[in-house]
Amino acid sequence: MTTQTKQEESLNDEWEPKILAFLCNWCSYAGADLAGVSRIQYPPTIRVVRVPCSGRVSPYFIIKSLMDGWDGVVVSGCHPGDCHYLTGNLVARRRFAILKELLEFFGIEPGRVNFMWASAAEGERFANLIKKATKIVKKLGPNKKFEKKW
Amino acid sequence: MEKVGAVMIVGAGIGGSQAALDLADSGYKVYLIESTTSIGGVMAQLDKTFPTNDCAMCIVSPKLVETGRHQNIDLSINCRILDVSGEAGNFTIKVLKKTLYINPDICTGCGVCGRECPVEAIDLFNEGLAKYAATSVKYPQAVPLVYAINRDYCVGCGICLAVCKAKAVEYEREDEEVDINVGAIILAPGFDEYIPKAANLYGYGKYKNVVTSIEFERILSASGPYAGRVLRPSDGDIPEKVAFLQCIGSRDYSGNGQPYCSSVCCMYTAKEAVIAHEHMHQIKPTIFSMDIRAYGKDFDKYIIRAQEEYGVQYIRSRISSIKEVPETKDLRIRYETEDGKVMEEDFHMVVLAVGLNPPNDAKYLAEKFGVELNEFGFAKTDKFNPVQTSKPGIYACGAFSSPKDIPDTVTQASAAAGCVNQLLYEKRGTLITEKTLPPEIFVNGQPPRIGVFICHCGINIGGFVDVPEVTRYAGTLPNVVLTDRNLYTCSADTQTIIKDKIKEYHLNRVIVASCTPRTHEPLFQETIREAGLNRYLFQMANIRDQCSWVHMNEPEKATEKAKDLVRMAVNKAREIEPIERIRLPVTPKALVVGGGISGMVAALNFASQEYETFLVEKQEELGGFARNIYHTLEGGNVQELLADLINKVKSNKSIHTYTDAEIENIDGYIGNFKTSIIHGKNKERVEFDHGVVIVATGAKEYQPKEYLFGQNENVILQSEFEKMINSTDKLKNKKSIVMIQCVGSRNEEHPYCSKMCCAEAIKNALLTKEKNPDLEITVLFRDIRTYGFKEKYYRKAREAGVIFLRYDEDNPPKIVSEDSILKVEVSTPRKEIININSDLLVLSAGIYSDREENEELAKMLKVPLNDDNFFLEAHVKLRPVDFATEGVFVAGLAHCPKTIEDSISQANAAVSRACTILSKEEIEAEGKTAMIIPERCIGCGMCIENCAYNAIELIDDRRFGRIAQINQALCKGCGACSGNCRCAAIDVLGFTGEQVFAMITGRC
Amino acid sequence: MVIIMGIETENSEIENSMRETARSLLKEKKVDVIIGYTNGTVPLSSAPIMITKEEEVEKLIWNNLCYVNLAKYLVPRIPQLIDPEKGDLKVGIVSKGCVGRALIHLSVENQINLENIKMIGIPCNGIINRKRIEKEVGEKEILEVFAFGNDIVVKGKDFEQEFSFEEYINELCKVCKVKSPPVLEELAEICIGECQEISSIGDNFEDLVEFESKTTEEKWDYIKDTLETCTRCYACREACPMCYCNLCFVDQNKPIWFEKTTEISEIIAFHLVRAMHLAGRCVACGACSSVCPMGIDLNLITRKLEKIVKERFNFTSGIDSKKMPPMMDFSMDDAEEFMLEED
Repeated sequence: MTTQTKQEESLNDEWEPKILAFLCNWCSYAGADLAGVSRIQYPPTIRVVRVPCSGRVSPYFIIKSLMDGWDGVVVSGCHPGDCHYLTGNLVARRRFAILKELLEFFGIEPGRVNFMWASAAEGERFANLIKKATKIVKKLGPNKKFEKKW
Repeated sequence: MEKVGAVMIVGAGIGGSQAALDLADSGYKVYLIESTTSIGGVMAQLDKTFPTNDCAMCIVSPKLVETGRHQNIDLSINCRILDVSGEAGNFTIKVLKKTLYINPDICTGCGVCGRECPVEAIDLFNEGLAKYAATSVKYPQAVPLVYAINRDYCVGCGICLAVCKAKAVEYEREDEEVDINVGAIILAPGFDEYIPKAANLYGYGKYKNVVTSIEFERILSASGPYAGRVLRPSDGDIPEKVAFLQCIGSRDYSGNGQPYCSSVCCMYTAKEAVIAHEHMHQIKPTIFSMDIRAYGKDFDKYIIRAQEEYGVQYIRSRISSIKEVPETKDLRIRYETEDGKVMEEDFHMVVLAVGLNPPNDAKYLAEKFGVELNEFGFAKTDKFNPVQTSKPGIYACGAFSSPKDIPDTVTQASAAAGCVNQLLYEKRGTLITEKTLPPEIFVNGQPPRIGVFICHCGINIGGFVDVPEVTRYAGTLPNVVLTDRNLYTCSADTQTIIKDKIKEYHLNRVIVASCTPRTHEPLFQETIREAGLNRYLFQMANIRDQCSWVHMNEPEKATEKAKDLVRMAVNKAREIEPIERIRLPVTPKALVVGGGISGMVAALNFASQEYETFLVEKQEELGGFARNIYHTLEGGNVQELLADLINKVKSNKSIHTYTDAEIENIDGYIGNFKTSIIHGKNKERVEFDHGVVIVATGAKEYQPKEYLFGQNENVILQSEFEKMINSTDKLKNKKSIVMIQCVGSRNEEHPYCSKMCCAEAIKNALLTKEKNPDLEITVLFRDIRTYGFKEKYYRKAREAGVIFLRYDEDNPPKIVSEDSILKVEVSTPRKEIININSDLLVLSAGIYSDREENEELAKMLKVPLNDDNFFLEAHVKLRPVDFATEGVFVAGLAHCPKTIEDSISQANAAVSRACTILSKEEIEAEGKTAMIIPERCIGCGMCIENCAYNAIELIDDRRFGRIAQINQALCKGCGACSGNCRCAAIDVLGFTGEQVFAMITGRC
Repeated sequence: MVIIMGIETENSEIENSMRETARSLLKEKKVDVIIGYTNGTVPLSSAPIMITKEEEVEKLIWNNLCYVNLAKYLVPRIPQLIDPEKGDLKVGIVSKGCVGRALIHLSVENQINLENIKMIGIPCNGIINRKRIEKEVGEKEILEVFAFGNDIVVKGKDFEQEFSFEEYINELCKVCKVKSPPVLEELAEICIGECQEISSIGDNFEDLVEFESKTTEEKWDYIKDTLETCTRCYACREACPMCYCNLCFVDQNKPIWFEKTTEISEIIAFHLVRAMHLAGRCVACGACSSVCPMGIDLNLITRKLEKIVKERFNFTSGIDSKKMPPMMDFSMDDAEEFMLEED
């Protein structure tokens, strides 16, 4: 291993990605709160945007976040069947499935955009999934594909 | 005595909370009295709920938060009833409010005291499986979030007093006695579970790996002791083989338990087995049960899924012994199989499906309130109205009157509220206080002037996040004209500060960076509204629950994150605008579709509150399904009830009854429906306006194609048989009668249980035996589902000599007709063939619902049907009589097969839910709704399909052509439509594209 | 003996029968107007035409340069076509398979009322990949293009080049399974001429295998290189029968989600969002690529869209007017293998 790559490695170790997290108000936001109340620690990588339902999250939000330099995006909703708005998350799931496949097809690392379900009772799961998403995005490194040339 | 427009509800579980919300929303002052230190009862302890596997906490917590902060609900915890006087319409209750040693008005629920408390005490909520501190809340999402000191464990060290920055700890705080004056009382104390006695047959308390079902429920829960992993208590291993034993303490005549059926254990056991397997696929659950009592809506399907998809194995047996294998701590179960073999099998863990007992303080409560208890120690209720106690003006709901599940409890809670409405409707609105608020300051178009208040939350935020630095940073952001930091931003004195600053600095946007908006947003919104700002000109940054508490070891990064969160909030705040909640007028009239018992009860309840009601019946006569029923199993005279109801309906001037009527069209929405019907021989057309709709269209009796029905005159239905017993003497010369259960139920065509047939058969069998004791009666069944107290009659029938023989679905009885004799051949589970010569075959035909008939109405009302063609409610657990479409409710057999008592309950419940609308002159729609940007909309109709609330339709706009239109009254603001709209022609107020854009972008 | 019918003969047969159908529709006053193809003003092109009189039918042509999707001319919605109160306009439309599919899908999206449409079905034999031929010809000016036998002949001032028809049609046309418009059970009478009954389309998307086997980085490089030349002229959008928004997302302000620059990230965002918008809606006509002045092949992306909705939601756009397109529908049972799960 050359010195340079070693340096890059250690830089990479310290580098913390910034991830924008869209959390639905009723399950995932509550799950994140529960993680807090239970003092479950997870990396300080996410910045939360509260939305009424995962169904509100338009592809615009996700693509714009990547373009604006966020290293990753997380969208979290209620588990299928638990949606506070009955079926909002099911509508969203189709949209996310397509977007996720298209991103990969366009050559954008699919790991940058992660969709997940976390309920109001799943503080630990929420923290675990954020840890996992952070790990994935960290491995991908800073989001450079959308960097502006000028 | 003058009637009082207030209601006391005793017990704040899901039942009490539902009743409180219904009544508070209908204009009554509600005193909600809870004996423990938080509300939510048993449901808040559950992991998932059947038959949908919904997360219990997800669905119940919004309801609890709403209960906790409702303006018309006065919630008192840690209370005891001391004395009751007065009568229906005017009671006075003396209540003891026991001290928490912490001032609930000051406590912010921050939890520092609990974490610093050195004494470990037992946590009731996790059923003794995890430890908590002496100063504690019951569980993290508790409502109200107020800590209490458990003096039994407290050593008085004074640490909590020292660490509480809010100064809420008051060791000397004393109990308080208050007198409360109300017009009616609802008792909803719930139940206590049966606790198996130590060293009993099941080894509970002796063997570590034997747990009760409630303990197992906590093990399953993500917020439970093992964080959702299923581990056994002895060594923390994953138990691969788990045995569930049913009927622990239920259907038990040994004197150790209760003789009745606890109604819910079969289903909750199936659920626990399914969830255990779902959490850990290694787990193979085995359930030991006598009958599988899956009698409710979609319950049988759940049992089938449990077996087919989750590999849950059912063994029909009551076990004979259980012993621990000392080396492994496994449990050796000995049982006899249905075909008579004795088996022995080892399991890693055993779950006891414990039954429901009356609440421990049932006798005390009964004595204080002067209501009678029944032979089993539950509240005694009216034969036909299961929420009416023996004392007028006092109602019971939920498990206090009989063991029941969550939807039945919620239905009864609303039913009790429905009865209270009948009693007190004139006093509605007399005791609630409407806040007078200053007019709103006009801020539209003005440059944002943002004030940011940052909370230390004692040391909860300040201990980990550099609050002064975040405050400094906030001050540098554009449009921020004021920053302030507070020890507790939620405390009462800070509210005054916020109001003063709004005036002083002419703030037109306010941000609080503190804890979670889920609990605190309404408080701050109220504050800024009192200062004259529209309540939506508010933003919160969650720098505690989602920052300081989860990054406790990285203060610098936590500070950086807090700054980002504040900046994002400021960015959004710049884009927010006042939102005006739309107000809609309400027509205080009701339409009831269906003139059976449910429909008539609903109509009479409406009419007794002086609401004009339109009762529409398809048949020429009122009465519906009940016209063929004479008695209930419990001995209620149905024909008498029916005659009485019909008489009352016909003589009531507020009810317009239309028989032989057909609905032509229903237009409109909540509060404002318009319906046209055609009725009578002359096909007269009538049109009327109304504010709500109750669907009570009933169901039909199945006409069998099997068992020679229609071909042999000696094969008849239970309804015909009942008529025969009650009105003829044809039974005299009969010698042997055979009854077959589940005809047209639980099969491929109708995969559900019709719920009533077991009771019908036993009722008729008992009646027959009474008239002709020598007559031999054999009941061929698949499961006997005499849930609840009906179990008593099952036993009675067996004692009277009625023979019960089980058959399997795959091997139904065979009938051959020979002369006047019907030869019945049954193969039993013991693989024996039994031949019975009978001279009358009675079929217990199921209940079914006609797709075509229901579909037409469903389409008009935009409400769904389930696979079995019954109407599908908004939520099977917590909204059992509501539809997702607001202003429309369901009652009776239209919903699913049920007893007359349950239908009456549901009818009253539907009325109570409807009264939350009808009692208001106008209703306020949710402010944060979706809205169409008409010039962008192209009318493709995708949003219509995506909307779960039928809030969108296509209209022909004069200017923009055919575009979508959102009905603000129906929209809930989820934004599913908006997220999919290609044209970005739909925005969601409060979460607009511009606001989200501002949060995503604009980083410095 | 096997008679090999040349492309030339095939085209003229299609053309003749199409003209006859058009003539009788006009004669019997079953339609007010017919939308079809006519010769383009420059070689290697065609143009749309609307005719209202019998004698004009001779203007209608069919050849392998009829790349435009004529359904485009019915959107944005024509009130007289959909709203009985606004009049009663009956339209005949020359429909190759993908035009038929577009019409059916547009009816699902409430843009047209099929009862007012007559599809003059023709069995499309494939559209020539103009860009490829132009590329091969290079700088030389093309003056004339015609079919001869099974070849396409391109003539210029001092050159003549032959291209194998089979080889030089669009990749999209090579895998096309809907050559002529689908017949709808409930509206059988709207399709006259050549139509086919289709219940579902078997497609193994073999043409995508090669691209999909690339690594993400290789895909990125390919997509970036391909789209880099995009000038954001939006010809693809203008040709697309499914792009009928009043105000396209790229032209919106409040907020300006995407900038109108030719910065590569903005170009990619535009095509990514446009792809999202076409999921479950693209009818595989290939008009977007045919009209692209920079010769960008967008069909790779649209094929992927077809594949996603077929494999995930078992949906093919424009063959069934009753089945809900994937974005208008949802199901508890949708696959969710892409969701993040705990380890």
